[in-house]
Amino acid sequence: MSGDPVLRTVARAAAPLTLWVSFVIFLQGHNMPGGGFVAGVMAGAAGAMYLLAFGTVRVARFPWWKVSVVGLLIAVLTGTVPLLLGRPYMQHSIWHFDLPVIHRYELPTATFFDLGVYLIVLGTLMTIFVELAQEER
Amino acid sequence: MLRFDLLLLLIVFAPFTFAALALAVGRLAGQHTGLLMILAAGTSFLGSLYLLMAGGTITFIGEWIPSLNVALSLRGDHFGLFFALVISGVGTLVAIYSLSYIPRLTPARIGRYYASLLVFMGAMLGVAVADDLILLFIFWEITSLSSFLLIGFWYEQETARAGALTALLVTALGGLSMLIGFLILGATAQTFSLRVLVEQPGLRERLLHSPLFPAALVCVLVGALTKSAQWPFHFWLPAAMVAPTPVSTYLHAATMVKAGIFLLGRFLPIFGASALWADILVPIGLTTFLLGAVEAFLDADLKGMLAKTTLATLGLITLLYGLGASAQDGLQILTHATYKGALFLVVGIVEHVTHTRDTRELGGLWIKMPATFLIGALAALSLAGMWPSSGFLAKEALYAQLLAGTSLPGWVPAALVLPVALVANAFLFATACRLVFGIFLGPPTAHARHAHEGTRGLLFSPAILAALSVGLGLVAPITSRLASYVSSAAGVALHLSLIPADPATFALSVLTFLLGTGIYLRRRTFSLMRARVASGPSMQGLWDCGIALVTALAVRFSVRWQSGSLRWYLAGSLTFTVGLSSLALTRAGISVLQVPINLREMTWYGGALCAMLGFTAILVARATNRLGAAIALTTNGFLTALLFVVYRSPDILLTQILIETVSTIFLLLVLYYLPAFRPDRLPPVQRLVNLAVAAAVGFTMFSFILLSTSPQFRELKNLGAEYLARSLTLAGGANAVNVIIVDFRAIDTNGEITVLVLVGLLVYGTLRARRKPA
Repeated sequence: MSGDPVLRTVARAAAPLTLWVSFVIFLQGHNMPGGGFVAGVMAGAAGAMYLLAFGTVRVARFPWWKVSVVGLLIAVLTGTVPLLLGRPYMQHSIWHFDLPVIHRYELPTATFFDLGVYLIVLGTLMTIFVELAQEER
Repeated sequence: MLRFDLLLLLIVFAPFTFAALALAVGRLAGQHTGLLMILAAGTSFLGSLYLLMAGGTITFIGEWIPSLNVALSLRGDHFGLFFALVISGVGTLVAIYSLSYIPRLTPARIGRYYASLLVFMGAMLGVAVADDLILLFIFWEITSLSSFLLIGFWYEQETARAGALTALLVTALGGLSMLIGFLILGATAQTFSLRVLVEQPGLRERLLHSPLFPAALVCVLVGALTKSAQWPFHFWLPAAMVAPTPVSTYLHAATMVKAGIFLLGRFLPIFGASALWADILVPIGLTTFLLGAVEAFLDADLKGMLAKTTLATLGLITLLYGLGASAQDGLQILTHATYKGALFLVVGIVEHVTHTRDTRELGGLWIKMPATFLIGALAALSLAGMWPSSGFLAKEALYAQLLAGTSLPGWVPAALVLPVALVANAFLFATACRLVFGIFLGPPTAHARHAHEGTRGLLFSPAILAALSVGLGLVAPITSRLASYVSSAAGVALHLSLIPADPATFALSVLTFLLGTGIYLRRRTFSLMRARVASGPSMQGLWDCGIALVTALAVRFSVRWQSGSLRWYLAGSLTFTVGLSSLALTRAGISVLQVPINLREMTWYGGALCAMLGFTAILVARATNRLGAAIALTTNGFLTALLFVVYRSPDILLTQILIETVSTIFLLLVLYYLPAFRPDRLPPVQRLVNLAVAAAVGFTMFSFILLSTSPQFRELKNLGAEYLARSLTLAGGANAVNVIIVDFRAIDTNGEITVLVLVGLLVYGTLRARRKPA
């Protein structure tokens, strides 16, 4: 199931771009429209585009289910850290950095949780895509 | 400085740690994994011995769920530590025996065997020293689960699987009943601590006068009696004899079946004052005592014989507890664990070298197996209650107790108890005779000709147990002190002696001996009875009927309610949702009619959008092929996205567009594999029902959205405004939607993403597995 030349040409440019946009959406998610879930879906769409254009062989070689498991691990660990510090599970805090150029930078720990969500959505979507695409009629 | 409470914790949890280790290294170490078990069991044994000799009661209290009064509390008193000593001591011996007994299987399977044994041992030790009832229950259930794995070790055999399942179902059912009893107790007494229950008489008084007390008592007793295989739950024990012999020795002679007895000992000070206690335990104990002894004598299978003598002894201890006579429980438990453990291991050797357990095919083994014979004969002395073994002391103590009268009243007349006990003991004596004379003496059979002596590794453990069994009798004064020290009753002094002090008990012993000899000599008459007993109705048959009934019910339920029809499921869940939300609206007195609707406020593009949405929805429902439906559905989705533009909701808009895109790809991928779409002709009634469900769902959703967006009702409690106000200050994010997902409601999200991962893994697993064979 590998697509036609037009699709391939478009995908070659559009897939990395979509992936980039998904990353931006993920990063800005805490303050502007976006977030881990949407960004993950978008990255999954980029993967699907690639899959439709170039076939399953190359994409299927990657163990996508591990991405989702790693994501779950990150999310749960983020929630566990406050537990170890004697605070409730999943209590987030905000880290402040003083960096040279942009001066003050705020990083909520929720971002790590969001990263987990991102990886899970991406991993699960790709797992299902790849497995369905490999089915034989 | 050694901390006693931490040592107590180590005794219980070291076996669990070693179990994980055994699983891990089992693949590499194979046969030698048993050394791990010897190490763990030996450690626990030495630890228990040290604590027992140090004297006093050691408590460990860790916080667990304080809001429910549940604590991680352990208590090592004399009785509990003594039980732990028996568990870990026999555990060590069984591990040594297993090294030679378990054949060369795949290393992983041997690792699993020792891991299960270790988990079992840890759980038993936990039962022995747990103070909190909930903790006790957890350990109790772990013993049931691990015994399931151990009984079913030869899982290739149908009988092994069936026996393991019966044992699990009966003991787990009892365990659940026990949990109910514990919960009632905990709710009434406001504590789950055994120590508090025992030490506070006022609390006990309140319990005894609570209307729920009889229910709690019965529930706890059912748990104890199922575990200890008391009539009418006795049938699982003989069925569990399909286990490897070391397992039978450990679980069904020395430890697990004693857990129920042990629990009775723990609860006697709490429940003993109730008349119900004796009314239930005395008849059940007496029945099991007699039934077990008679059936043991009739059985032809060696392990079956031993299992039934175990039933008898457990019945005897239940009887003693029922009578309130707990002074000699330590003596009875110790005696039984040593001689029955030795006998089981001897039978294991006999089966190992002759490949049969049928008494009719065995005989004259003493020529080829003198050491095994000697060990078996010594242990059988105790079973028969012969002088000078510890079994003799135990029997004398029993008769002395029964002669002295009972402290608890009951509806079973005291005049009945002594004769029945005498007859049962006589049958046990006759069974011991059958074991010794039937297997080891007499003319050698075909099986005996090829027999050979067991290896040193096999003989070591039974030799120690048999030596203990006789040795404890020889040092009667020391045994008396030990048995008094470890008894669950405080401040008792047993006076055991090999020289009969009381002529009455000695006369009873002689009577038992004579009666037992008589029974043994008339064994042919009894063996005719066996056929008649075997064909009659049994508890096992009744139980199987019950299980079949439950299964049939479950099948009929599933066929009716879990038909696999998507339409049925969807209609069910939707109707429920609609019903529940309508109920909520009615009770709150809110109706959609209260919302003023002014169609003139609708803009032209809003109207057009709504019309198109309705049109595409109808297209989806009327589509005659899947592709058409998919296209209509996607169109509908993107139009919905446009709706979010109207409402200026960029976050949801973005999500909606992406989800539509991705799900279209999904649909296309799936459509490719689906069979052709054939809209089935539904009967008119069904169509009407479908229409009604659809209309109800539509109307409910419409009302909800309208109500939640109308300014009139939004002011009641505006969650959105609160979230918006707090998202930047509390969570450092301006995007309230995302802050809700990852911060305010992070635990919800946590659950959702876990489900998502599981779905992915399931798809991976099922589709992969389906493809693999091709």
